[in-house]
Amino acid sequence: MSTSAKREVTFTFNGETFKGVEGQSIAAALMATGVRELRKTRFDEEPRLIFCGIGICFDCVVVVNGVANQRACLVEIAEGAKIESQK
Amino acid sequence: MIGIIGAGPAGLAAAKVAAEAGAEVIVLDSAPRPGGQYWRHRDDVQGYKSHRAGGYFDSVIGSKSVTYMHGAQVWSAVRSKGSITLNYLHEGSEKTITVEKLILTTGAYDRSIPFAGWELPGSMTPGAAQALLKGHGVIAGKKILVSGTGPFLLPVAVGLSEAGADVLGIVEAHSPLRWLRSPLALILNPQKALELLYYLRKIRKYSLKVSFGRAVIGFNGKTATLSKVKSNLESKGEVTQIGCDVVAAGWGFNPDVTLGGILGCDQRVDRDGSVIFKVDKNQHSSAANIWIAGEATGIGGADLALAEGEIAARSALNDSIPFSLKFKRFRLQLFATALQRSYTVGNGWQGWIKPETKICRCEEVSHAEICQSVTELSAQDSRTSKLFTRAGMGLCQGRVCSRNVSEIIAGESGCKVTDQERISYSNRPIAAPISLGVLADGINPQ
Repeated sequence: MSTSAKREVTFTFNGETFKGVEGQSIAAALMATGVRELRKTRFDEEPRLIFCGIGICFDCVVVVNGVANQRACLVEIAEGAKIESQK
Repeated sequence: MIGIIGAGPAGLAAAKVAAEAGAEVIVLDSAPRPGGQYWRHRDDVQGYKSHRAGGYFDSVIGSKSVTYMHGAQVWSAVRSKGSITLNYLHEGSEKTITVEKLILTTGAYDRSIPFAGWELPGSMTPGAAQALLKGHGVIAGKKILVSGTGPFLLPVAVGLSEAGADVLGIVEAHSPLRWLRSPLALILNPQKALELLYYLRKIRKYSLKVSFGRAVIGFNGKTATLSKVKSNLESKGEVTQIGCDVVAAGWGFNPDVTLGGILGCDQRVDRDGSVIFKVDKNQHSSAANIWIAGEATGIGGADLALAEGEIAARSALNDSIPFSLKFKRFRLQLFATALQRSYTVGNGWQGWIKPETKICRCEEVSHAEICQSVTELSAQDSRTSKLFTRAGMGLCQGRVCSRNVSEIIAGESGCKVTDQERISYSNRPIAAPISLGVLADGINPQ
């Protein structure tokens, strides 16, 4: 991706501040900084990251500005977005 | 007006033909950029002959008669006399458009088979590693192992290497000698040898290690367990370990048949067990004024999708289809058949998994629970097992696990998965998630 001309975007994930590049998905921006867990599963509390990466599997769902079940692999980061792990 | 759903190779090829004829066309694509899962976007396109993509983007986006709409996800469609209504989500609201003719090019997604630890962070599909790289400029991990079966592993491993990733190797389950079973497909497709040569050169350039007859059968987030496998994927023992933080494992593709299914287009089970659409020589489906091209009519790759997309559009425009184009489709279909014969996915993987391995990732249903639904609750098909265990009833609606659940139940109960069951688990009443709130807001006519 030609990232040189693209704007930096600041957002939070579970209260912590992260920076990514405009146009990146939430999952990509977080993984670029070394994040390896987007949520824990409902029953066995196992860590999950992305799996299919193209919006099919819903493994990467997060809460974006209070709205649950958003696929982190598809939803792009936005300035000031508040992203939280889904329980 | 002609509607085209999907802007991958098949959709773009169809749109290009229509644009050149000056026909009024709307292309609805769910992605933010054209190219589909394989080409993705021009800036990021790398790989054999991928420069072709740019030409298609230009002719479609630059055309006056073609409306290209990105980020438009068609969630349902209704067929009525003489027209087809498409309901889609765009910029947060629901919209609708009516077209006279429809060309469906909905593509496919990676097929996954479970192994111990496939639920863990770092285990993903090759498509995910490719999407992260090409779509978002991010390398999936520090040490990446690409595994599974099929030629798609090559562009993924090579693309990652070109981007500077540490790719530990390609673990291919099958022997390349299996290609010798399909001599005619090889003779009629000499261009494929050039493609292979392109990737072999890259493999040498990046010193990529390629091993055959092996598969990743376990992963703990830090180490992958490899085993020698038979052609049906049964483990032969001889287990080795390799340190890596990403396993990108892919076992071919599942065609996305949801929208055509909603529209009532007839389906059948392909040689590889995947569910595809029945189409005639013009790519026309069983439903009036609906054509289907690309992976949804049989997994065959970008070249075949381009030929099929062009044929579909020519037929929709009542244009003649040149013999050379028909022959191109014929020889590429032969090649697709050879691919299916060379890279089969047997059920030997059922021996790799542990009782606690989650088969349904969404509802966290383990292998043991699915087996119990057969042995203790007498489930004989995936539907019954689903009702007992909730396997396949989570957010993904069984897109990832339903085929595997059916294979496990068939294995446990000693029968074969019927075609009817395969068609049933491949279809769903809604093609994309839509919130009740958006639905209740009503439709904003386009």
